[in-house]
Parts: sequence; C-alpha cells; structure tokens
Amino acid sequence: MQQTDNIAALRNFSALVDFSNLINSTLDLHFTLNNILLTCFGKFHTTKGLIALLNEEKVFIVKTSKGFSNEALKTFPHITSDNYDSSENLADFMATNKLQIYQEIKSTEGLKGLILLGTRLTNKIYDEEDISFLRTIINVGATAVENSIAVERLKKVNRDLDSKVNQLSSLFDLSKEFGGVLQEEKISKLLVYSLIGQMLVSKYAIVSCSGGNVKFLENRFDEQNLRIAFKNCDADNFIDVLVSAELIGAFMPFAEAGVELIVPMKINNETKGLILLGKRKSELGYSKSDVEFVASVGSLAIISLENARLFKETLEKQRLEKDLETARNIQNNLLPKSIPKFSNFEIAAFNKSAKMVGGDYYDIVKLDNNQLLFAIADVSGKGVPAALLMANIQAFLKSICKMKLPLSEATNLLNDLVAENTTNGSFITFFWGVIDNEKRELTYTNAGHNPPLLIRNGQITKLKKGGMILGVLPTMIPYLSEEIQLESNDALVLFTDGITEAMNKKWEEFSDERLETLSIELSGFDAAKILNEIKMNVDNFTHGAEQSDDITCLVIKVK
Amino acid sequence: MAEFNVNLRGVGSVSVIDVKGYLDAHTAPELENVFNNLLDQKQYQVVVNFDDLKYISSAGLGVFMAYVETMRENQGDIKFSNMKENVYNIFDLLGFPILYEFFKEEKDAIQKFSEQV
Repeated sequence: MQQTDNIAALRNFSALVDFSNLINSTLDLHFTLNNILLTCFGKFHTTKGLIALLNEEKVFIVKTSKGFSNEALKTFPHITSDNYDSSENLADFMATNKLQIYQEIKSTEGLKGLILLGTRLTNKIYDEEDISFLRTIINVGATAVENSIAVERLKKVNRDLDSKVNQLSSLFDLSKEFGGVLQEEKISKLLVYSLIGQMLVSKYAIVSCSGGNVKFLENRFDEQNLRIAFKNCDADNFIDVLVSAELIGAFMPFAEAGVELIVPMKINNETKGLILLGKRKSELGYSKSDVEFVASVGSLAIISLENARLFKETLEKQRLEKDLETARNIQNNLLPKSIPKFSNFEIAAFNKSAKMVGGDYYDIVKLDNNQLLFAIADVSGKGVPAALLMANIQAFLKSICKMKLPLSEATNLLNDLVAENTTNGSFITFFWGVIDNEKRELTYTNAGHNPPLLIRNGQITKLKKGGMILGVLPTMIPYLSEEIQLESNDALVLFTDGITEAMNKKWEEFSDERLETLSIELSGFDAAKILNEIKMNVDNFTHGAEQSDDITCLVIKVK
Repeated sequence: MAEFNVNLRGVGSVSVIDVKGYLDAHTAPELENVFNNLLDQKQYQVVVNFDDLKYISSAGLGVFMAYVETMRENQGDIKFSNMKENVYNIFDLLGFPILYEFFKEEKDAIQKFSEQV
C-alpha cells in the first residue's frame, strides 16, 4: 500500500515537473492555458473545462475552453472578482454544463482567474487529494499565466506605441509636403489620402467654409444628403469635434448620411473647414488618439488651404490691378493728346486721377478752322464705374459734335443719352462751350458743373447758365445757353471740385474763395502760367496729403 | 530626396504594379496616376508588388483605400504581394489585413484572381 502511494506520488511529481517545464518554456498565453486544461483533463479524466481570466474591468472572460458548444459558452455569466463566489448565475452555469468544481487562479498579485472542471468519466468526485493536486497545478501555472499576460500587455503597449510613432511620422511627412503646395485640390487630395490610409475609411468629405459658404473640396458621401445636412447647420455650429454619438438634433442628418466623425479645422479659433469621416472599415470606432490625429492633420491642412486661398487672392488682385492699369491707359487716351492752336486764344489743361481710373473728364475739339469746343465734366462716384461712365460721355460728345447742333439742343440730347445709360443715381456735372476765334465769342451751357470763372479786369463772372446735372432724368426742361463777347486778356478758369475741395492735413478745403482770389491775381499771365500756378498752389496747400478726388483744371486766355 | 518609382506590367488579365523606394505624401500622386490609368483602361484586377518598397506612409496607404472599392465594384480587387516585414507592419498596424489579401509571392496573388473567375 505504501509502495502504491509512493508510486502515485512519484507519478504526480514527475507530471508536475513536466508540466512546469512545458508551460514555463513559453510566453504564449493561449498555449499556457491550454496546457493547464489538458493536464487537468489527463489527471482527472474529465472532458470538459474552461479557464476564465479577469480583464482590466475585473470581469471574468473565458480565455480557453474544451468540450463546450459555442452556444453554451455564450451563456457564461457576467461575474466579477467581487461577486463570483456568491453568484447564482455561476452555480446555474455549472449545473447546466455539468461542471463539478471551480478553483481560483491566484498569483502573487492576487486573483487572476478561475478554472472550472467538468464531471469525471469515472464518476468519482474530486477528493481532497485531487483538489490539492489541482491547486498545485494552478500554482505552478499561475506564474506562467501572469508572465504571459504581462507579455501580452507589453505587446499591446508596443503596438500602441508603434501606432503613435506611425501617426507622428505621417504628420511629419505631411507637414513637409503641405509646406510646398499652394493648390487647393492638391492639398485636399493629400489630406484625404493620409486620412483614409490611417483611419481605413472609404467615405469622407473635406469641406471648406468661409463666410457661411460651404464648399465640398472632396466628397465621397451622397452629395445630396450632405447638402441637406448642411442646409440646417451653419458652419458656425461646428466648434468641437463631434463623434457619432454626438450627431443628434441638428446634426442628425449627418449621421443619416453616414458621417461618424466631424472634426473642425480652425484658424485663430474660427472654423474654416471640416473633415467628415464615415464608418471605419475595421469596424472600430474613433478613439481619442484617432481624433487627435485627424485634428492635427486637419490643422496642418487648413493652414495650407488658407495659404493657397490667399495666394489665389493675391494673384487675382494682381490681375485686377493689371486690368486697371490697362483701363487707365485707355482712359488717358480718351483725353485730348494735343491742344489745338487758335490765333486769338491760348488753352492749357491738366488732369490727375486720385485712383487708378477716375471720373473727371475734359475735352478740347476743333470743330472747324474757326470754332473750338471745350468741355469739362465730373462723373459721380469714383473708380471703375465712374471711368466707364466717363468713357461713355466722351463717346457721346464726340458723336454729337459732328451733328453741328446749337449747344443747348446738343445738351438736351446728351442728357437724354446719359439718362438712358445711367442707373442707381449716377450723374455727371458737365460744362461745355464753343469759342468763335474770329468773333472772340463764347457760347456755353452749364449742366450743374461748378461754375467756371471768367476773369475780366479783376472781376469774376461765374458761368452758370444751363440746366440740371446730366443723367438724373430725361430732358424735360430744355437747357439754356449763353453767349458772351470776350475781350482781350479775359481769362477763363474751368475746374472740378477736386481743386476747390482739395484737403490739407488739417482737414481744411482749398475752397472757392482761395481759387477765386488766386485766379484774379494770376489773370494777367498766359494760360500755361495760370494753370501751373493754380496746380502749385493746390499742391502747396495739400502738402502731400493724399487726395480722394480727381483734379482737373482748364484755363483759356484771350490774347 | 527620397526616390520612388512605379512600374506597370500586365500578366495575363492582371495588372501588376511594381512600387520601389519611398511611397509618401510627396510620391503618392505618382501611384494615383497609375490607378487612374487602370480605371481608364477598365483594368480592375490589380496586384501590387512591394518587393522593392522601402517605406510607406499613411498617404501612400490612402491611395489603395481610394481605389479598392471601385476595383471591387467591377469584380476586381487590389491584392498585395512580396511585402517586406517593416512595410507589412505598417499595413498591419492600421488594420489593412482585415480588408486586403496579402501574398508572399506575386504569382499566388495572380493565381487567386483566376480562381475567382
């Protein structure tokens, strides 16, 4: 009897040594657990058993099992390290599956798991000796289990780390690439490739929003659905990252369109664009680290996109400036290039635009060998619209000149034409006159222009006769004209309000009084000298202050 | 400057793309062009041979994501072969093995297409 016991003990002992060697030779958790189970099966002649280990939330999860159907395994109860020994669920599960005993797997760190074993083929119950042997197996196994778990955890940490390194290298890669690209399409393509490669998605959209305008740079969602979703949702609403659980209420249509993640791309806390991603092919959700990656890539991209936009804007501005320069050249060509000469008169003229193109206009046309027509006009407004209207009136004037109409009638016609061509309140102040060289006679019509000054013997006469400004209404009251017999040494000063309203740095205007006094003082000089002095006086007055209005001045001197 | 080369060959009805060097955000458009050409020619059965690829970034991976659905919708696929371990690790890390078939040898990948027909 003693002999038999010894032999049995020896067999147990050698089985244990084998077992210990085997499971400590590997760090594979599954292999270790499998061997614990198999060793128990061999020893106790059972065909059913399972090992459940505690996860991080302290819940038992079946890690390995033998002799169970999948359905049976699914009924494994939800038990935790706190409640398993009092759990009726566990007792029920054991009874249903003909499991006879369970034992705790403990390591130096405490409870690790449970082993459950089925009834023995010999129908013997597990006696004390069996249980003590089982405990020994478990004790030997526990260390191996613990080591394997530690290795698995390490592997996971390593993988997470790899994944972070990978994300960082992607970011690095992109930041290099984004820096050198200035085309919107290329940037959004790059952004998309990085996102779908990293996140494993096939549904995505890159959206730019500026000033309430939503533009799809890239889109693989149903466009219609997405447009509907944006209709109810201002870009201002996208302040924070939205994951699928938060896509409710106003954001519901996005979820319905298949969007699972919305990441705003911001500059200076202002949302300039959005990244929309659909379901991940890996069936995983978006983790915090994923969202961080998307946000980082997004903030890199949006800066590039913004740069691209600014670059494009600058290009457009340059193009526009070039157009304006061309316009100015054309406009300069509309002004008389040379001033016709007559025996009894001298004429001098000057024009300067405050902007690239201006709304002031003057013209001097030789009607025949004896008659000269001159005109000065100021188109309301500035810049391109004024310049267009100025070109318009220049064309009319040139045509009407050829019709040889009396000046007042010609003005009626001119006003009708301008009124037809102007919209939203544009108008033109206009003055024109015809000088007869032989008779030294002036005929003029003033359509609301600053009255030109006729200086004779130190006295000023303002030439006011005419009618209302051009372009407001079709001619109802015919324009009037006046004839004046000119005398030798008479000086005629025509100007636009750019002269009288020229400002100095103290916000004072040059004023009509100053111009009038100056004109009287200068009236003895020839036309060129008078014009130059007026120009110089205005320049000295403004002293380099930038002028907001065009300046035009025309001087006629009777010899 | 990191080099990247892409070459396209036909093996039977299957198009084989050889990628070489560094596939990153900078070079991804070259690969994209090859895929666009394949779509133009209605070639949907594609094997990418990674034998000479040294590095791939997520932008490079993105190109495969961008085209695989179209290939599959047209009864084709993108399959990968001859991948070095360091390159495979990146694919693995981002979960590509769930979605794509990887083969040790190019001929196995090509073979797989003929089995499907």
